[in-house]
Amino acid sequence: MVLTRFGIALISLLAVSVIIFWCVEMLPGDAAERILGRNATPEALALLREKLHLDLSAGQRYLRWLTAFLSGDMGTSLVAERPVADYISSRIANTALLSGLALLLYIPVSITLGVLTAIHRGKPVDHAISVVVLVLMCLPEFVIGILLISVFAIKLAWLPPLALIDQARSFGELLELIALPTITIVAAMSAYAVRMMRESLIEVLESSYVLMARLKGLPKRRVLLFHALPNALGPAINITALNVAWMIGGVVVVESVFEFPGIGRLMVDSISHKDVPVILAISMVMTGAYIATNLVADILVILLNPKLR
Amino acid sequence: MASSWPVAQIRDLTVDYHGERGWTRAVDGVSLEIGNGEALGLAGESGSGKTTVAYTLLGERRGASRVGGQVLFRGRDILAMPAGELLSVRGRSIGFVPQNPMASLTPSMKVGGQVAEMLRFHAVETPQGVGARVVELLDSVGIPNPVAAARRYPHELSGGQQQRVAIAMALACRPDLVILDEPTTGLDVTTQKRILELLAALKRETAVSMLYVSHDLASLAQICERVAVMQKGRLVEVAHTSSLFADPRQEYTRDLIAAVPRLDRPPAGRIEAPPPRHAPNLLEIDRLAVSYARRPLFGLGKPPADADSVKGVSFAVQRGKTFALIGESGSGKSSIARAVAGLTRPRAGAIRFNGEALPALARQRSTLLRRKIQIIFQNPDSSLNPRKTVRSILARPLSMFSRLDAVAREARVIELLQAVRLDPAYADRRPHQLSGGERQRVAIARALAAEPELIICDEILSALDVSVQASVLQLLQTLQRERGLTYLFISHDLAVVRWFAQDIGVLRQGAFCELGDTETTLSAPKSPYTIQLLEAVPRIDAGPPPETQPA
Repeated sequence: MVLTRFGIALISLLAVSVIIFWCVEMLPGDAAERILGRNATPEALALLREKLHLDLSAGQRYLRWLTAFLSGDMGTSLVAERPVADYISSRIANTALLSGLALLLYIPVSITLGVLTAIHRGKPVDHAISVVVLVLMCLPEFVIGILLISVFAIKLAWLPPLALIDQARSFGELLELIALPTITIVAAMSAYAVRMMRESLIEVLESSYVLMARLKGLPKRRVLLFHALPNALGPAINITALNVAWMIGGVVVVESVFEFPGIGRLMVDSISHKDVPVILAISMVMTGAYIATNLVADILVILLNPKLR
Repeated sequence: MASSWPVAQIRDLTVDYHGERGWTRAVDGVSLEIGNGEALGLAGESGSGKTTVAYTLLGERRGASRVGGQVLFRGRDILAMPAGELLSVRGRSIGFVPQNPMASLTPSMKVGGQVAEMLRFHAVETPQGVGARVVELLDSVGIPNPVAAARRYPHELSGGQQQRVAIAMALACRPDLVILDEPTTGLDVTTQKRILELLAALKRETAVSMLYVSHDLASLAQICERVAVMQKGRLVEVAHTSSLFADPRQEYTRDLIAAVPRLDRPPAGRIEAPPPRHAPNLLEIDRLAVSYARRPLFGLGKPPADADSVKGVSFAVQRGKTFALIGESGSGKSSIARAVAGLTRPRAGAIRFNGEALPALARQRSTLLRRKIQIIFQNPDSSLNPRKTVRSILARPLSMFSRLDAVAREARVIELLQAVRLDPAYADRRPHQLSGGERQRVAIARALAAEPELIICDEILSALDVSVQASVLQLLQTLQRERGLTYLFISHDLAVVRWFAQDIGVLRQGAFCELGDTETTLSAPKSPYTIQLLEAVPRIDAGPPPETQPA
């Protein structure tokens, strides 16, 4: 079972690399033209192409990349002329910090708000939270980001508008810099999860076993935390896996809004330079992260539901 | 523990619901008393308010907008109790056994833990003693290997064992009163019998008082000293069990008792239809095997033969007669029904209809064949589209199987409603505006719309009240006589089938252990399993338990 999943994961990674490679291939121009810019002479172009192995056919270049990748070598960035591994590792760390922090906040925020709306269903608390959540669901993440900047960075001047975290000198400064992009991601992600948590908890609260737990004379808190919540988390965990998938794409947009030095922005830059090895490396990292979160979500759902064990 | 107060007194209880159509009175001026160590039965059809009364004893309003009167537990009014005090009464002094144990045990928590939390939160046991007491409780309700069972999740137990766990939970804190809400409905007959025996034994040993809510008079007769009968929110009659059954005062009670299917005598109003002695076979089943096992090799291989849920069954149904398939859950009776209806592809074997081999799946069958074989399902709530009116539910098979213009179709809809004894005005209603029995009649009318020769009835009575069951059975018999219909009737209830089906097959674990005509098979059963099933049928005249002395 785990082995099949692992095999499928490898096949997916391979397929993604082929698709990404050919997509980039279809873009007009090549890295040599991008590097040399307007004052490129045909001779200089030919020389650079030979150096970057751009004179080889697309198939050959893909195979060269694949064999190197399989032996653990991600190649050299065409533009920065540095090994891709070094080049992207610090960016990955930044993005991992941002998404990790967002995920860490997202889980308690969605559960708490979902539970609050479910147990106060139809009351002012539910309406207030639900309206905010629905508005956030409708707004694209860059709008949320820009709104946050205009309020907290420009109007109130509490937080810096740009998240240039490489310039942070202390941990406190780092938190200040990373706050707005994190909140943007959490707001965009939690909206769906809160709705999902609310629906699934309402259904569970109306179940016979919750009624039974109440008729056993158990305190409210016990009924909620031990009888209702564990059975309501399943759908919320599945939506989290979808959310993480969204976040992998959304992080690109959010990083661009806040000038955040992560792989999302690097990806955008690399595509405009047609820096194929970097693009492929980032795609592999993103796909891997996506597959891993889905796997973790599946395992969690199975662990929470004894029937599936 | 003896108190001067009776365990429970309900005084002039009224419960009202406020809905779209204004106020509805669910319980109207009910007064009852439960004595120490007494078991009071509360009988009535669905919608009679009996469950509502039972829940108010636990202080549970179930969305009621207004509750009037008094519900006294040992002299304290449960309706006026502060929330904290109510929690200490619930579970601690009043136990509860639910209708559907599968749905009522928390799926994510081990059953031992669910019993243990009762002991812990009501502080009736020292923390060190909880584990041992849980095992003792599970043992006392007859769960084999209680140490291992305590570590299981609810879904790992059978329906009967789940109900035993729920009973152990209800008795955990040694309460004064246990409320049982239809505790055996939904269980197999033999399981039901064992649960009833357990309840009777626990009552003798612990002298706990009980309020036993059920529509099943025969079960009530085995547990309760007194029975109260409710109808439309009102109390019709309260009497000692023996006198209630021997000499019911009210006509409604008499009707209820008469509707209980009995093995020893035919139901009132049974239609004797002498069918032709040797009718030709309409349906022949030859070594039918059905398997739900997953096929190896990504669904390409053959499923293993030893995983069959129906193991090579053969029988024949004669035209114009009724063949009953009897068995408990998991016996394969519904799998046979689904195979005949073309909903499941059999693993092996042949089905012949009118002497011709029947294609396996309904979509491979001709329109004519599909018209001639109709199926009615167990639960009309889920087999009728809730968004459609009765008219469009009935018009659908008409437009599929016949070419009628709008006027003729409307006439047919009215005719069908009349055939199932429903008011033609019902054509404009939607399923949720009908009662359970009326919905099942619509389902029957839908089957009739196709003018079938064979109707497969898959447990069509089990979701219905006893009195409604009786009238639906009578309807089926009338239709059979009028239209020469053939029924393949699937049921777990021998008493129903006894007077309804001419032929019977008793299924156990996918194979027949008895096959033949009903009369001889049931009067002289050969298989020990059939005998066991016959003995499990609850009898009203079995007599109530000896009257217990007030504790």
